[in-house]
Parts: sequence; structure tokens; C-alpha cells
Amino acid sequence: MSEARSEASVGNAATFDTHPGADAGVTPESPLQWSRVQGRVTEEGGAAEQIRVIERPFLGHLVLRGGAITLDEAVRAELGVSLPGKPLGLVLDAEGSRSVQWVSPDEWLVIVPAGEEFELENRLRARLGDAHFAIVNVGGGQTLLELSGEKARELLMKSVTYDVHEHGLPVGKAVGTVFAKTSVVLRRPSEERFELVVRRSFADYCVRWLRDAGREYGLRVESASP
Amino acid sequence: MTQSNRLNQGGRIDRSRRLSFTFNGQQYTGFAGDTLASALLANGVDIVNRSFKYSRPRGITAAGPEEPNAIVQLGASEAAQVPNVRATQQALYDGLVARGTNGWPNVQRDVMSWVGKLGGSFMPPGFYYKTFMAPASMWMTYEKFIRKGAGLGRAPTEADPDIYDHFNQHCDVLVIGAGPAGLAAALSAARAGARVILCDEQEEMGGSLLDSRESIDGAPASAWAEQVVAELGGLANVTLLPRTTANGYHDHNFVTLHERRTEHLADTAAGAGREGEVRARLHRVRAGRVVLASGSHERPLVYANNDVPGNLVAGAVSVYIRRYGVVPGQRLVLSTNNDHAYRAALDWQEAGREVVAVVDSRAKPDGDLVKQARDAGIRVITGSAVMEATGSQRVSGAKVVAIDTERFVVTGKVETLECDTIASSGGYSPVVHLASHTGKRPQWRDDLLGFVPGEVKGMHVAGGAHGVYALGETLTDGADVGAEAARAAGFEEAAAIAVPEVAVRQESPTSALYQIPHEKPPLRAPKQFVDLQNDVTAAAVELATREGFESIEHVKRYTALGFGTDQGKLGNINGMAIAARCLNRSIPEVGTTVFRPNYTPVSFGAIVGRHCRDLFDPERYTALHQWHVENGAEFEDVGQWKRPWYFPRRVNGKRETMHEAVARECLAVRRGVGILDASTLGKIDIQGPDAREFLGRVYTNKWAKLAPGRVRYGLMCKDDGMLMDDGTTSCLAENHFLMTTTTGGAAGVLEWLELWHQTEWPELQVYFNSVTDHWATMTVTGPDARKLMSEVTDIDLDREQFKFMDWKEGKVAGVPARVFRISFTGELAFEINVQANYAMHVWKALFAHGEKYDLTPYGTETMHVLRAEKGLIIAGQDTDGSVTPEDLGMHWAVGYDKPFSWIGQRALTRPDTAREDRKQLVGLKPKDPKVVLEEGAQIVLDPEQKIPMTMMGHVTSSYYSPVLESGFALAVLKGGRNRMGETVYLPMSDGSVHQAEVVSTVFIDPKGERQNV
Repeated sequence: MSEARSEASVGNAATFDTHPGADAGVTPESPLQWSRVQGRVTEEGGAAEQIRVIERPFLGHLVLRGGAITLDEAVRAELGVSLPGKPLGLVLDAEGSRSVQWVSPDEWLVIVPAGEEFELENRLRARLGDAHFAIVNVGGGQTLLELSGEKARELLMKSVTYDVHEHGLPVGKAVGTVFAKTSVVLRRPSEERFELVVRRSFADYCVRWLRDAGREYGLRVESASP
Repeated sequence: MTQSNRLNQGGRIDRSRRLSFTFNGQQYTGFAGDTLASALLANGVDIVNRSFKYSRPRGITAAGPEEPNAIVQLGASEAAQVPNVRATQQALYDGLVARGTNGWPNVQRDVMSWVGKLGGSFMPPGFYYKTFMAPASMWMTYEKFIRKGAGLGRAPTEADPDIYDHFNQHCDVLVIGAGPAGLAAALSAARAGARVILCDEQEEMGGSLLDSRESIDGAPASAWAEQVVAELGGLANVTLLPRTTANGYHDHNFVTLHERRTEHLADTAAGAGREGEVRARLHRVRAGRVVLASGSHERPLVYANNDVPGNLVAGAVSVYIRRYGVVPGQRLVLSTNNDHAYRAALDWQEAGREVVAVVDSRAKPDGDLVKQARDAGIRVITGSAVMEATGSQRVSGAKVVAIDTERFVVTGKVETLECDTIASSGGYSPVVHLASHTGKRPQWRDDLLGFVPGEVKGMHVAGGAHGVYALGETLTDGADVGAEAARAAGFEEAAAIAVPEVAVRQESPTSALYQIPHEKPPLRAPKQFVDLQNDVTAAAVELATREGFESIEHVKRYTALGFGTDQGKLGNINGMAIAARCLNRSIPEVGTTVFRPNYTPVSFGAIVGRHCRDLFDPERYTALHQWHVENGAEFEDVGQWKRPWYFPRRVNGKRETMHEAVARECLAVRRGVGILDASTLGKIDIQGPDAREFLGRVYTNKWAKLAPGRVRYGLMCKDDGMLMDDGTTSCLAENHFLMTTTTGGAAGVLEWLELWHQTEWPELQVYFNSVTDHWATMTVTGPDARKLMSEVTDIDLDREQFKFMDWKEGKVAGVPARVFRISFTGELAFEINVQANYAMHVWKALFAHGEKYDLTPYGTETMHVLRAEKGLIIAGQDTDGSVTPEDLGMHWAVGYDKPFSWIGQRALTRPDTAREDRKQLVGLKPKDPKVVLEEGAQIVLDPEQKIPMTMMGHVTSSYYSPVLESGFALAVLKGGRNRMGETVYLPMSDGSVHQAEVVSTVFIDPKGERQNV
């Protein structure tokens, strides 16, 4: 692994595999670790709540910066999906486990299963060559919360300023929005669920807020194993 | 007590559900469906309050939000107290407890009333300004008494047990008001498929349909309302919000709605058996289009003693009879200038009580309702008006006289009619308040004798809100406007609903009438009230105009007309009409004041929502937070971050003080090894072929030659040449850098970089991304740092291989890490960056290995002491936006000869930034080593100088140094660098004066050898 690292550092940008590897015996802690200690995350059980919040920790999060045309070709080749064709677009691969989200005219967020991001970054870099672009690994800095249940929309109405109705946030749309007194990325990957991408340092605040807002509907927060 | 004014039948109340309540300490009963006001009237309660200024007895006047008198303090327990609730808007519930907000000690026997009686003539408008102007120091004393006397409710002294929240709503069409126009509009828009929100402030939707005498499609009007509400309720694209007042209309169709969810059931949610539920909710609505269907308020006439209990606006009489089955008296005189008000007399008579007379100011009224009244045998006196009410605790009669409205005089003999109730109607004022919140002035319409809303972008007005009053026309108007709004919102096919059949009524025109002339001149006549809540009389308005207050805004402020929670709902138009008469102008020339949010009071709880207690503000945690808590850290707020401040230990069974803990932590770093969680530092990833060039332009120093693997400290200035932020930036690869910023400056610096890139140098190929949260940062520092690090890392730590200001990549405790040899303590230091999810593992491993070195965690306080001992600044503490790099003695970090200009260069070449006597950063050593100077203390050269002394600078950082065994400080001092060795003085607020010597900013290891080992 350390060979791969140094090899990748040779170019004009330094890449870095942040993971110690499965055999290193290192247990990662998700941004919700403190919330878990505080009893704000239940691992199992619970009555029939109307809202479920599930953390999907340790996923690979990469920010892609660059021109759409340049990046699109590389992303299609390496990830098998096109960049979203429209602003605020969100596309998923066939499995639904890899996604590319429009963030700004020259910025995309790619989320892939845990551990895939470093290899993907290297492949994209190799393919993009001398083009002007940037790839930034931000996986340690954010986590993904999945929201589902019949009252999920009401919960979001209490929390974010964006229009979360079908008209405002149809499937395949993702926005940055105000969430209580912080901000989150809000995504609608499917009919059944919403996703929040929250920053690590604000994660506990977000969960506290969600639990409070969801109290009248019944809400459970869980964390999925990687 | 029996409900003496309650009818045996009629109304929309449930006589099978008896509710008991307490008002002013007395027990009463009412029925489900009552408001507090209707229940009080049913029980024959005449006096509900004392007036604000004159302390006159007051009764219920209106039936809606325009009620000026029946303002109550609600709540059975201290914690549930709510001030300034209108009894007319408060649904009755079992166990309700309320009292009038004014009246000290009570409304029946009011010690303040002598002020009203004796002092009335001594309290002209502007009384407070004139009387209590001097001495200013006494105002606080006066104010206490004025407040106590004036009342207007009080806040609870205990914590509110209820919760409140906010809802962000979006819709295509927001319809405000669920009267005939609003219902028709909502239905048109909803059937077209638009997302509709319909809000209404009342318990039940329907507005005027609920007390109308008219029929729709041959059935009572209220039946149509019920049917439409039911249809709307069944549509998925419609949100119905009853008990919800649109209180603020802000820019871009952002409207705030205040929904009361449990207040109609009990004074707390728990009391209503709905523990934990939201008591009130603030809906923040962003509407595509707004349909303002807020209806109209009836104007009372202004006549003498029109405030005595028993004086009501005419429409309220009908509402109480038809909606609540309550007749608020025995013998009625109605004074009117229009046809519509006649329904009050007809309703009264049909309820089986006596109508003494209808007094109509018009010469020949002959509309359908007038005919109906005459046919019913009611005496109609024309060309006349009620000039004065008699009675003090309750109306005992009405003085009626013929009037000439043109010349504003009485023309006939006064006739006194015996009665206990006077209903008056001066016409209708569209409710323009909300439209006016956006800053658009209402427009006067002579044909309507009222103001209509000004044009607001995205707003449509329907029904009474713009003077469409006849029921059939209102329905048609609402249906059309609703469809128009839906079309404007993008539902191009939207069509008006088919409007049901309503019989057309002939009406004779309304005459313009506001104030009734009196036998005596206005300033001598008994008080004629314009604004009952603020006790503003017609004479006061007249006096204000005589004293030179000609602008209506000045009249308002001088008299208090339309102030406070009332917002001029009943009184404003009358006040303007009186001002216009006195100034000999027309009403549109006088104009109207602007109404402000909120339309009716909103509880603070609803404004705050859930942003309170532990959700008041976000707390940001690092990946190591749990360890800090478990190891007893005291925390300091740095921005929204919770950073360990210091880690007190238990020594000999006693917990260390902060001073002790910090001294121990400092010595550990200077003599052994310490560790700091520095994860909060801002980190910005910078990539691109022009990254290096960009750094050269935003930092004052040079970046052209920084090689991969090296780190450099940089200063960032604003374009005024003043220091803005500082930090280190590492060259990761030729086109790749990692910038660090101060904890508090992180977001601002990223924005600053983006601003310059996007607006000034878009041609530079570079991208910036925040990686603050991605990396956790741990600083291992002290003479033993290398020994500890060597146990956990595969990085070659040899001082020649890994030099000061180098960075290396490797593994620390098995986790891939970037390690930076930079130092904020002056000691040997390694700053370890790992992906945040692995931080706890690394941190714990360091402690496992660090035990033998007594690895000491330290917090921000120790960090401050250590860096100050080395003269290292903190941007924002030692600088304040007026300090240049030169002032800090950091000319070595300014590259004046860089080929391309950089931010701040121009400003730093001004003569002012080159002055010798600028405030410059120096060290201060107190003459008494025990003294720790106060941060912010002013520096003078001559302690004997008379005040105002010549101030030469101030202390920016000051601590006790356990190494120096002395206090020491950093300060900015005029011409400081030329004053080395001089003694300066710091006079304190207690009169003592400290002495200090001006010294170098570097107190320890001046050659910087310790960090280079």
C-alpha cells in the first residue's frame, strides 16, 4: 500500500490513501460516535416509528472539480455513469451504491462504497492526465444520513428551508440547503428516501435536531455497519 | 352565575358541553364553541379592563382581532402566563383562567382611576415627553410607575413548559383568510392542481359566512362554507391551517404564519392531555403567489363617551348573536352611515330584544335592509347620529341629534334614548395591514371610503380586502382571483369555479362619516375615543395638528395612535379623517401610516421555535471529543467549536484550579511532552497549475520556490494592508498545497480565496476545497516529542532527514498520516494529520506509548501561554484589523519585490503604514512579577497626566508564565520598537497603576533553538 501511495504522489498533485487497511487492526469511528455514546443512536429494536434515520458511515466521498465535458468522459469510463446533465442533478449507478451529484458549475460530489475512493481517484487522475481539474478526498469530513418513513418529509420541513415537496425535490435532485442553524446537502436518490450529507463536526448537532424534530412522529436513528 | 345573555337556541356553540372558567377571580360557565369574549358577554360581564392612560372602565367592543379593550392575561399557573391575549380570539376551554391586563389592583376598583378623572385634562398628548423629560435620571423611576399603572400584561417568571417549532412551507398559492373570497379563491386554485395553503385566524373557517343572514344556493351561507372546507380538506394539494394568523408579509412573498395548536384546548399542551406536542408553530411560507383575502374591519363612529361598556361595533353584535347565541344587552340603539349595519338591528330584534332606534346619518336611506327594518317596525331616525353615550359603568342612554356632516355641526335638538347598548358603524376598512408590511402604502378610494392595498409583486387581492363587499360579488371575485393566482403560478388552465347563487341586495350608498360633531367644541366635549387601546381621543388628534404635527406619521407618534399590539385596526382611518378635517385636507392628502409586522402578537416561543436550550446553537465537535470529555476537560467555545480549554487533574484529592492546571501543562510541554487536539484549524486543499501563483498573490510573502515536502508560514492581509489571517501552507506536490487557517477564520478565508479567484483572477487555474473536517490534527510537542513519535511511526525522524518546516508521509500507529514539523509552542513539535475516522485510534496509541513520558494533554489556554512566550501572534487577538505585518515586526514575511502585486501591497506603501509612531507589537514585563496585566488595559507614558490621558496602546495578550515565574504580556504600543527598555504605565479602574518594561516579544529561547533540535 505504501508503494501505491508514493507512486501516486509523483504527479503534480499528492494523492493519499487514508485507510490503514483491514489487517491493521484499526477501528474507525464514524462522525456519530459521540452521538452513539450519548445514546442518540440506537443500534437495534424499537417500536414502529414513522421515521428512520440510518447513518451510512465510512463511505468514500470525493469532490471533483473541473470542466463538465472533461470530467464527464472520465467519470463515465471509470464509474459507468454520466455526470448529471442538469444543475442540482443526482445520478446513481445501476446498483444504487455509487452516485455523482452536481454541486456547482464546476463541482461534483462522488460517493462510492467504503474503500473504493482511493483507487477511483487514481484511475480518474490517470485518465484526466494534464487537464485542469482537482480531486479531493473528503471522506473523513462528512457522513451520510438516510431518511425514510411516512413522516420524513414533515421532519425535513421542520429542518431545512428548501422545498422538499415532490415538485421542489423530485427523485434525482440534490441541493445544498440551510438545516436549522447549519447547512447540509440534501439528496433525493429514490421515492422512498432522502439523504443528508452532513459535516463531521456538525453531525451530532444534526442528529440532536432530527431526534427533537421527529419526536412527535416517532423517530429512530441507527448506524449501518460498513 | 347564569348566562343571562345567552339565547336558548342558535349559534354555532355546543350547549351540551358546558365549560367553566375564571375571569378576574370570578367563576363563570360557557359552552364549547365560545370565545372568551362571547362567554363573558353571555354572563353579562360589562367591564373587562381599565384603559391604558385614563383608567376608564372598558368592555368588549368587537368580535375579532381588532378588539382594542378585552386584552387579557391568560394562564392558570405562573409558568403558563400569556400576556395580551384578545378575549375575542381566545377559544374557551374548561378551566380557563384570565384577568384583565390593566387595572391595579383590579378592574372594578382601580386606584389609578383618579388619574383618569382628575388627571385626564392634565394628560394631553405628548404628556410623557412633556412631563418626564427632566431630570433624565428620574426616568427609570417614573417609568416603573407608569408601567405598573398602564399594565398591558406581564411575562411569566417561570420557564415555559411548552415547546414551539418552525415549519418551512412552500406553495404555489397562499390564500390568507377563509371567508367567502378566500374559500372561493382557494377552491379555484386547488381545483387547477396548484399547491394551496389556506390559513385563517379563527377557530372555524368561513369568516363572515358564519354570521351572515344571507343564503347561498338557497341554504344558509355557513353551509356552503362547510362544504367548501370539506372539499378542500380532501385534496392532497391543499393544506388547511385554521387558528393560524398571517402575521408578517415580507419581501418576495415570504409570509410568516402563526399557528396555535393547543391554545384552544388548555393553557399548556400537557394540560390538554397532549404532553410533548407543539403549542404553537411558526410557518415560514415561501409562496409563489399570495391571495390576500383578509376581509375588512368595521369602523366604529367617533362620538362622546364611545368607550363606555355597552358600545360595540355593529358587526360584532351580529357575530355574537348569530355565531354564539349571545345578545350583549337588552335595548339597542344603532348608529350608522350604511345599509349593511342594519343587520345588527334585525338580528337583535329577531333574538327577542328591543331595538330602540336605528339612527342613520343619511337623509334618505332606502336600501333593502333599511326597508326590512322599517317593515319590522323598527324606528329609523335619519340625518342624525348618536352624539354621546351616557352612563359610566355601562351605557344608560344615547344622545341623538341631527347633524350636518359638511359643516361638522349639530343642527337639531338633542333627544336622549334610553338603552344599554349602542352599536355603531362608520363603514368598512379593508384589512390592508399585511400588504403594507412590504412597504407599499395603501391607496385611498373615494368610492369605497377606505384604503385598499397598494400593489405588491406576486400578490392578488380578493373580496373585502379591496372593498368588494356584497356576498355574491365577493364569491365571484374570490373565484376569479384564485384562478388568476394559479395561472400566474404556472397553472395555465386554471379557471374560476362556478359561483353559487346569491340574491342581490339593493343598497343605498354609504355616507362619509367618521367623527360625530358635538354640541360642544371638540376640545370641550366629553372624550371621543379614536384609538381605544392607546386612549387616543379626537381632541388629542386635533391638538396634535394644532401643535404643528402635520405629517400623519408625526401625529401617530405624538398621540400613540395605532401603536403597539393594536396597530390601528379600529382607529387609524378615523384618526386620519380627523387629522384631515383639522388640517383642512383630504384623507388621501393626509395619507396613512405604515403598518408593521406583526399583525397580532406572536409568542416569543413561536419566534424562537426549537432554537433554544441545547439546540440554541450548533456545537461542533472534533473526532476526539469523547476522550476530552472522559478525561475531564473544561471546554472553551471557539466559534461554534468546543475545544478543550485545560485538563484539570485531581491532585491530593483536590481538583486543580485553572491556574494550577495550565502551569502544569505548560511545564510538561517545556520539559517533557504534551499533546494538543488542533483539529479545529481551518484546512484548505489547493490544487492546480496556478496554485503557487495564487498563493503569492493572497499571502504577503513568497511562494515561488517552496519545494514539495516543505512548509511555510504565511500572512494574509485585506486589501487595506491590515492582517486578516495567518497560518502555515505546505507544498504537497508541485501543483498541490494544504493551507491552514485560524479556527475562527476558516470559512472566511475560503470565501476570500473564492472571491479573488472568481472576480479578479478567474484566469488562474486553481481549485480550493475545505478539508477542515476531513483531517484530524494532533500536535505532539516538547523535548520528548521525538522519542514518543519514534515508537509509533515508520517515518524517519532524524533531524537532518526531517527538518523543522518539513512534512513527511508515513504511518502513525498503523494509520496513514501526514506529519508536519511546525511549532506553535517553540518546542520540537510534530503535527499529525490523519483521516478523522482514525483519529481516536492514533490518539489513544500515542497515550499508550506516552505514559512513560507523562504525555500531557493540554488545551487552548496552555497553547496561548506557550505561543505568547514565543511572541507568536493570534490573528484576531493580537490584531484587530488595524495592524499591518510591519506593525507586528514581521517585515521578513513581506515580499515587496514579488513580480506580481499581492493583496495589501498598495496599502502597505502608503505613508501612513510607514509611520514610525504606529502601534507596534511589543512585549511587556510587569515590574511586579506577580502581576498579570489585564488584556485590554491601556498604556500611558505619564501616570500623573490629568484625564484624558494620552493613550499609547493596549495589552493584547497577557498570562502568567510558569517558566518565567512572572506575568508577561504582548501589547501594541505607539512607536513601540523604539521604546525597548522604557517603563510604561497601566492605570487600572480601581485607581492602582501597574508598571511594566517594554521588552522583546520573544520571552523564551530568543534564537529559536528549541524547535530546531
